[in-house]
Amino acid sequence: MAKKRKHSEAEVSEPSKKEVALQRPKRTLFGWKDGVEEKEGDSLIFRNREKLLVTCSRRIVYRYRHLMLNVVSLLPHCKKDNKVESKESKGSTLNELVELRNCSSCLFFECRKQKDLYLWMAKCPSGPSVKFLVNAVHTMEELKLTGNHLKGSRPILTFSSNFDKDPHWKILKELIMQIFGTPKDHRKSKPFYDHVFVFSIVDDHIWFRNYQVSVPHNEMDKVDRGGLDKMTLVEVGPRFCLNPIKIFGGSFGGPTLYENPFYISPNQIRALEKRKKAGKYAKKIKAKTRRKMHELSNPLEPDEFADMWKE
Amino acid sequence: MSIEDTLEEDGMGDVDHETSESESESEQEDVRLTEPSKKSIYNRDGLLEKLSDISWPDNVEWIQKLSIVVDQEKEVDVNDDLARELSFYTQALEGTRQAFEKLQAMGIPFLRPPDYYAEMVKTDSHMEKVKSRLLEQKKKIEEAEERRKAREAKRIAKEIQAQKLKERAKQKKEEIESVKKWRKQRQQSGFSMGGKDGDMGLTFEDGKSFERSSKRRPGVAPGDRSGGKARHGGNKGMKGMDKKRKNREYRETKFGFGGRKGLKKQNTSDTTNDMRSFNQGNMSGNKKRKR
Repeated sequence: MAKKRKHSEAEVSEPSKKEVALQRPKRTLFGWKDGVEEKEGDSLIFRNREKLLVTCSRRIVYRYRHLMLNVVSLLPHCKKDNKVESKESKGSTLNELVELRNCSSCLFFECRKQKDLYLWMAKCPSGPSVKFLVNAVHTMEELKLTGNHLKGSRPILTFSSNFDKDPHWKILKELIMQIFGTPKDHRKSKPFYDHVFVFSIVDDHIWFRNYQVSVPHNEMDKVDRGGLDKMTLVEVGPRFCLNPIKIFGGSFGGPTLYENPFYISPNQIRALEKRKKAGKYAKKIKAKTRRKMHELSNPLEPDEFADMWKE
Repeated sequence: MSIEDTLEEDGMGDVDHETSESESESEQEDVRLTEPSKKSIYNRDGLLEKLSDISWPDNVEWIQKLSIVVDQEKEVDVNDDLARELSFYTQALEGTRQAFEKLQAMGIPFLRPPDYYAEMVKTDSHMEKVKSRLLEQKKKIEEAEERRKAREAKRIAKEIQAQKLKERAKQKKEEIESVKKWRKQRQQSGFSMGGKDGDMGLTFEDGKSFERSSKRRPGVAPGDRSGGKARHGGNKGMKGMDKKRKNREYRETKFGFGGRKGLKKQNTSDTTNDMRSFNQGNMSGNKKRKR
């Protein structure tokens, strides 16, 4: 079993290998699916065997935990694991964990100081991995998100066109597509398409939205006349906004390939704010001494009319 | 629910959310360096190499990926919640449309039949909550609308009432005016006109002849405001006594009981203007003198 997994990963990374052809033919209800394979025989049969491990660090805030659970419910090809001790959230242990669960990629929600949520997206074991800062989190439980859709139906992934501008966006797009796309014919997936993911770059952040698609229709494979025009979307949630911080060559480590030049860590921001507020007393004291010094250095001239009315 | 509704709701919701959160986590606000830091790493070749490492082969069918790239027409202002959400919405809509067209071209069944029931992402109890919240909102809006309408109606009624009062005052003034005019005319003509002219003058412009008010109470002095008989008519007894009672009342108003008596013999403007007891015209009076 393990051997097979390995080989499938090799296929993902380097599909030109010969071993692919040795793959066991696909089974259908009536027997082997030979005909199809024959037809596609010349080009390689590509089978997406992505498996995703989703975990979080210890002491995660409930809001972020709910976000994680929402992500788990959206992605049928993922495995949820226990919280990881924050000391152990170094790369090697996480890599081991991913290996142990036979996964090929990982989403790791890291909560720090009960405030900041960082999200790691990693391909294991060969990388790359990305670290994001997560902002503007809304979970699916919020009541103003009124949509609903099948659990496990494959999402349609839409990307805004500015993902193709720069190499780092390109690599992020590929990562997101592999991690968030549910593999075709996954055994937990359902054969219909009723929701759509939006990944859009606005202001150098990746914004995520999830909408339910509602189309008026009678049959399964045909949309009614004008149905595509009448199609409406209802938001299901969750919402979040990813600010990429760094892209690493390996999984959870390795050489840094990209670093966001505009990024300031929330710690720095908080420190700055604190510094702005602090030092009120010290400033006051300083001003007082300065005034005193000034008065000493420029003494008032004696007033010649001072005792004019004194008699 | 229509698009506008959801969007509007989203926008409002966002605003609410932000205002509620702004105090608690002001640091959550997105602060960034104004200019890119110099020492940041950007390994273009490494990125591209890694990309080619992990990316799927080119000849992968679209159905495996299900990814659609949608043009973003214009730059979106991040801080404008509505515009931002609208851009996401349009991106999603456009993407789904393209995807569905592709799926339809492939001839794969892709829409959920109405009788296909399966586990949903949100549980039924949660959806129940969502529904009840929507209903509550709707109710609230309706109630507000009703209140607004009531307020409006009240205002209009007040205006109408004021108008009516004004009109009434105006009419009264006009009547008085016309009477004055008539009097002046008579004075100018030196009261010499015969009874006929006098009668003619009595008619108002609007054709109504002068009438004594029908409210006049029998036996009560014209200037008496204390009520007189009207006070007495308060409690009506049994039916059989009705006729007797009326009679009694009349007599009482005439001979005492009720109202001030002193005023009965005083002149008022009504009595002075009352010319009925005089001989009108000069016929009878002048006959003797002529002789």
